[in-house]
Amino acid sequence: MFENPLSLVSGIIGTVQNFTLMVARSFRYIFVHFRFRESLLEMDRLGVGSIPIVFLASLFAGLDMALQFSVVMAPYGAINLLGKVVATSVIRDMGPVLASLVMSARVTAGIASELGMMATTQQIEALLVMGVDPVDRLVAPKLLAGMVMLPVLSVVGDFLGVLAGLAVAVFGAHVPAPLYWSGVRTALTLPNLLNGMVKPFVFGFILVSIGCYYGLRTSGGAQGVGRSTTKAVVYAAIWILVANFLISKLLIDIWGWKL
Amino acid sequence: MEALIRLEKVTVAYGSRVILDEIDLEIPTGKTMVILGESGSGKTTILKCVLGTLHPVSGRVLANGQNIATLDDDELLRFRQRMGMVFQEGALFDSLTVGENVAYWLWEHADLSDEKVEARVRTLLRFVGLEDSIDLKPSDLSGGMRRRVAIARAMAAEDPAFMLYDEPTTGLDPFTSKSICDLMRRVQREFSTTNIVVTHDLTDAYRVGDLFTFIKDAKVIATGSRQEIERSSDPFIRTFLSLDS
Repeated sequence: MFENPLSLVSGIIGTVQNFTLMVARSFRYIFVHFRFRESLLEMDRLGVGSIPIVFLASLFAGLDMALQFSVVMAPYGAINLLGKVVATSVIRDMGPVLASLVMSARVTAGIASELGMMATTQQIEALLVMGVDPVDRLVAPKLLAGMVMLPVLSVVGDFLGVLAGLAVAVFGAHVPAPLYWSGVRTALTLPNLLNGMVKPFVFGFILVSIGCYYGLRTSGGAQGVGRSTTKAVVYAAIWILVANFLISKLLIDIWGWKL
Repeated sequence: MEALIRLEKVTVAYGSRVILDEIDLEIPTGKTMVILGESGSGKTTILKCVLGTLHPVSGRVLANGQNIATLDDDELLRFRQRMGMVFQEGALFDSLTVGENVAYWLWEHADLSDEKVEARVRTLLRFVGLEDSIDLKPSDLSGGMRRRVAIARAMAAEDPAFMLYDEPTTGLDPFTSKSICDLMRRVQREFSTTNIVVTHDLTDAYRVGDLFTFIKDAKVIATGSRQEIERSSDPFIRTFLSLDS
């Protein structure tokens, strides 16, 4: 029932080694054998296809955050800071994290099940036999698409979240729109914007690479595809949250406690 | 006759489980070697060793005198470009049409115009009798049609030196099985390929094979022509032959 600690450690080392190799080969292919057509197709599938859910999630996150912050801030007479607080939270943290978690449910699961099905029906082996490295054909374009499209989606999602916050501020907390917007403008600082751009870039890498890794290593038919997909989504979500904390800590160490 | 593919004392094992135990095998140029044995006896593992997707723990797999295990990733990819493989269920790319599946090798490795690629794809599909299915998706095809497309795809390389077939007739009705075997024979005749066929069906084996190898308990127990195999006194081979007849 319990795994031998030695085999557990060797399993972890093996996973890290194989994952690193796959990622290194992907980056090599992105730079030395760039597949323009496939990358554009993946950007369309991964990015454009995710627009509705990311936007919907950002919209309601903005609404909810503005609502909660207005309830907390109003008794202290700090309601005039609502725009700054909502924009800072959305740009620095909630926007990228929420977009990535929603995307991981769609993109990571989609990639893991697609590659998993290809692996169990020998399509991956067929690629190898045809002299095509599956990492080149399947992983590299997806990885590039994830790292390009997530920041783009995240920026538009941030804007929507802030806009949704304006609706609550004006109609719920009776904050004048110009006051809200002036607060938002003060939140558009370099540390905040850098946070908002670096995080989705890293999260895009995490959610695609984990989906590809578990997808390619699928075995055991339909049950195996289900197992790989579940593992990929769970690990992607965990690593997004871990990376979010580490990047926040790193950027705070670099910029200090400035907003 | 010169051997195009040679396995020398090849052993494959997963932990303590031995799949192939010091196998020796020679497939002469232009011949079809059929590998027979029970399910799980290691037949497909031999194909994986030849493809280089599985490396033996000991022994050598030589193709054209080149040891496959010593090739780096790029050399291995180039080596596989001269090889055609037909998988058990066809392993067609289900997101592509029949025509795109056959064109895939050409897109990846040949610097041809779209017109030339289409002409070659149509020639190959005509060869396997499926030119009219060029725009269909693999999910729209029957099992036999999928194998035919897989054969056309495997031949897309200008001059595949060898073709590997993994249970090419499994799950097909007798008529379709025969037509697939006839097609495999035509491929060998017209393209002078060296072939390895893995099957457990003796009727199909006799239809396509020049040489036959029996695998049992991870070892080769007999290799030879049909006459030599039929003269064998090995109890396993006698049982195998009698069950099929």
